[in-house]
Amino acid sequence: MLQFPPWKISLILGVMLWGTLMALPNLVNMSGAPGFLPKNGVNLGLDLQGGVYLMMEINPDEVVANRLEVFAIDVRNALSNKDGKPLIGHLSEVDGRTLNVRLTRPDADGNYPIDDAVTRIRKLNGSVEGAIGGAKTYEIEAASPQLIKVSVPATAEEALMKGALAKTMTIVRRRVDPEGVSEISITPQGNDRIILEAPGEPDATRLKNLLSRDGRMTFNLVDSSPSSIAAAEAGVVKPGYHLLTGPETGPLLVRDIPEVVGSDIATASQGYDDGNRPQINFRLNGNGASKFYQTTRLNSGKLFAIVLDGTIMSAPRINEPIPGGSVRITGSFTLEEAQDLAAIIEAGEMPAKVQFLDQRTVSATLGRDSIRAGIRASLIGLGLVALFMIIAYGLMGCFAVASLSANIVLIVGGLSGLGATLTLPGIAGIILTIGMAVDANVLVFERIREEHRAGRSPLTAVQAGYERALSTILDANITTFIAATILYLLGSGPVKGFAVTLAIGIVTSVFTAFVITRWLTVMWLKGFRPRKLAV
Amino acid sequence: MLLKYWPATTNLKFMSLRIGGALLSVLMITASIYFLATRGLNLGVDFAGGTVMELQQTDTVTVESVRAAMPFPAEVNSAVGTDARSIVVVKFGAADPSKLGDEFASLAPAAQAERAQQVTNDIVAETLKDKLGLTDEDFLRDDSVGPKVSGELFRSGIMALVAALVLMLAYIWFRFEWQFSIGAVAALAHDVIITLGVFALLQLEFNLTTIAALLTIIGYSMNDTVVVFDRVREERRKYKKMADRQVIDQSLNLTLSRTLLTSGTTLLALFAIFFLGGPVLRGMSFALIWGIFIGTYSSIFIASAIVLSLGMDLNKKPAEDVQGFQGVSR
Repeated sequence: MLQFPPWKISLILGVMLWGTLMALPNLVNMSGAPGFLPKNGVNLGLDLQGGVYLMMEINPDEVVANRLEVFAIDVRNALSNKDGKPLIGHLSEVDGRTLNVRLTRPDADGNYPIDDAVTRIRKLNGSVEGAIGGAKTYEIEAASPQLIKVSVPATAEEALMKGALAKTMTIVRRRVDPEGVSEISITPQGNDRIILEAPGEPDATRLKNLLSRDGRMTFNLVDSSPSSIAAAEAGVVKPGYHLLTGPETGPLLVRDIPEVVGSDIATASQGYDDGNRPQINFRLNGNGASKFYQTTRLNSGKLFAIVLDGTIMSAPRINEPIPGGSVRITGSFTLEEAQDLAAIIEAGEMPAKVQFLDQRTVSATLGRDSIRAGIRASLIGLGLVALFMIIAYGLMGCFAVASLSANIVLIVGGLSGLGATLTLPGIAGIILTIGMAVDANVLVFERIREEHRAGRSPLTAVQAGYERALSTILDANITTFIAATILYLLGSGPVKGFAVTLAIGIVTSVFTAFVITRWLTVMWLKGFRPRKLAV
Repeated sequence: MLLKYWPATTNLKFMSLRIGGALLSVLMITASIYFLATRGLNLGVDFAGGTVMELQQTDTVTVESVRAAMPFPAEVNSAVGTDARSIVVVKFGAADPSKLGDEFASLAPAAQAERAQQVTNDIVAETLKDKLGLTDEDFLRDDSVGPKVSGELFRSGIMALVAALVLMLAYIWFRFEWQFSIGAVAALAHDVIITLGVFALLQLEFNLTTIAALLTIIGYSMNDTVVVFDRVREERRKYKKMADRQVIDQSLNLTLSRTLLTSGTTLLALFAIFFLGGPVLRGMSFALIWGIFIGTYSSIFIASAIVLSLGMDLNKKPAEDVQGFQGVSR
């Protein structure tokens, strides 16, 4: 207990040096320092620097339904010949988590070609991505002589959700941070949630507007004859078309099947038109450009609607074939709207609409105030505790205060080194640790006092004090560590930050009280050989 | 230094007060259960769902003007924020769905339930910005929690409490004896119930941070109990002929100065947070200050008293575990 061989001393100094280096960037700007030194201080939680926290969820029902909608197009192609004329007449409809394919044209005997249809559809059924053993994506069965039901089994759904979550995260990232420069963090939680944390002063409403859109972009041909539109408004919609509207165009009949879709778009950006008003420019990829050229070549004189999430953005008239695949949308956009729409279009379509479950916004002003109040409380708390210890124990109290200061350095260094996030409850955790770190010192000192009173010499009293207090200190701190671990595992957000500081604080306070205070005490004892302990 | 003036040995008969302590605790637990049943906990948005907005109070932004600008009636109060700023606090649940617009009406019912709070939040924020000429920066805080997440947060909070209790029970059982582990966990349950009772009585907001505070109280109370137990075990082995009651009293007296010093310093730190840490930390520091008192009390009058009633049979177990730890340290 009283031996400090050189290796132990170098270990103590090494740990302190590490802690100091790690903690240093919190006090001084280290950007000019040599490369091996740490540059970043503690990460501040959103409650301390201000920002927006959003928890989003994608609904499995919707992911499945959207996938089945896409599959319905494949089914239609599989049941048609090369010219798009139906071989097997049918109607497809997605009902919740099933795609119902109802055959409509019986043969001469009144039988439906159900076996043929099932065989054709089953050919479309691919393996689940990433699944072992070739599990199929869809379950396809004839439910009646006329009806085929397509559903997604549980294993495939899991893979589907995984893919959908990853894709949604990519799209979220591209929408909110098209330049890839901001500090927005986007992390998955479970298999259907995404947490977005945007520090600083972002506009929560704008973020939510950006994210709540599907981003489904299509280019559809239009029937703009007034009679068809009037008939559709009266409830008689021309087959193969549906009625849509837009702020610039008013109601128009657009073809159900789009000519060009979102995945044909390569890039989208915000630009300006001749009158210097914001517009959206985009460029189609090779496939999209050739489809666009074909459509414009064959449909001169017609309107071509650009539809985003069921709203017609613009419907210019086709005057001549357009090669090259450069398209633009003009309209009365504000600069911000045009930028956001460009980001949405470029990012692509969400696999399912996101729902916001939890939203928290803290302004940067409040964050600044909180951190100032927290630091002030810590310093005053530390000062009071230090004063108290010195008054109570004199010189030994000074050793305890020295180790307490080392403790603070190590906590800050540990938080910085682990890349942990400091939250407001985390600051409370540090202050609490200051109070509790004293406990280990007090336990030892009280024990030393007792042994000294029982007639032992200072050296043996210190030795016995540390030996006897050790198991108590370990027991007491392990139980608190259990509480901190549970908090970390089950807590969320600020509570997690509290748990991290508490856990780091427990480790560092046992180290500082048991190693640093002891080392200082032993050095003093060996250097001055006092006859009596002034405790 | 000053500690020299603290009596070297105290000889307080703690255990002769244990009947009185037990009565007091039963009384406090009964009262707590009564308040929890009648008043209930004042659940914050974390657990109850809903929205809380904090606005900087100015000449134009006052409780009256905000109340007048709200699209539907809501709880609007004034409060003191960090750095003694005056703030206006607006609190509301999801609005009547018919007021939430066409886009909302077209959603599926399940989606509506989840979206309602967010849509309401957006509508209120937009309305206040319009009518009072505010910008985002004027909203100091805007927290909006839907019913799904608030339910989950509540369940995981309770789970954390129960898991912590069970693990500590196991640890004490492993390190001591079953009598000790029952005493310790009874003391913890006592602390938690009475703290909840205080929250119900004073109608303090119960939120995620409070759960963190409760777990810390558990940790602290356990810390205190373990220190006493360690000493009881040691004294029991040293004085084999002494009555249990005397052993426990002697151990409590031997650890008394440590107990007072540690709670004293921790309280100093906590009072600093309570008075200087700003309103966000006030609830948490209040819970912790309360927890130190109740934790210290329960180590003596619940944990130790239960060990006394259940009896100790430490002679069965030699002191090997203490030795073991020493071996590790060297």
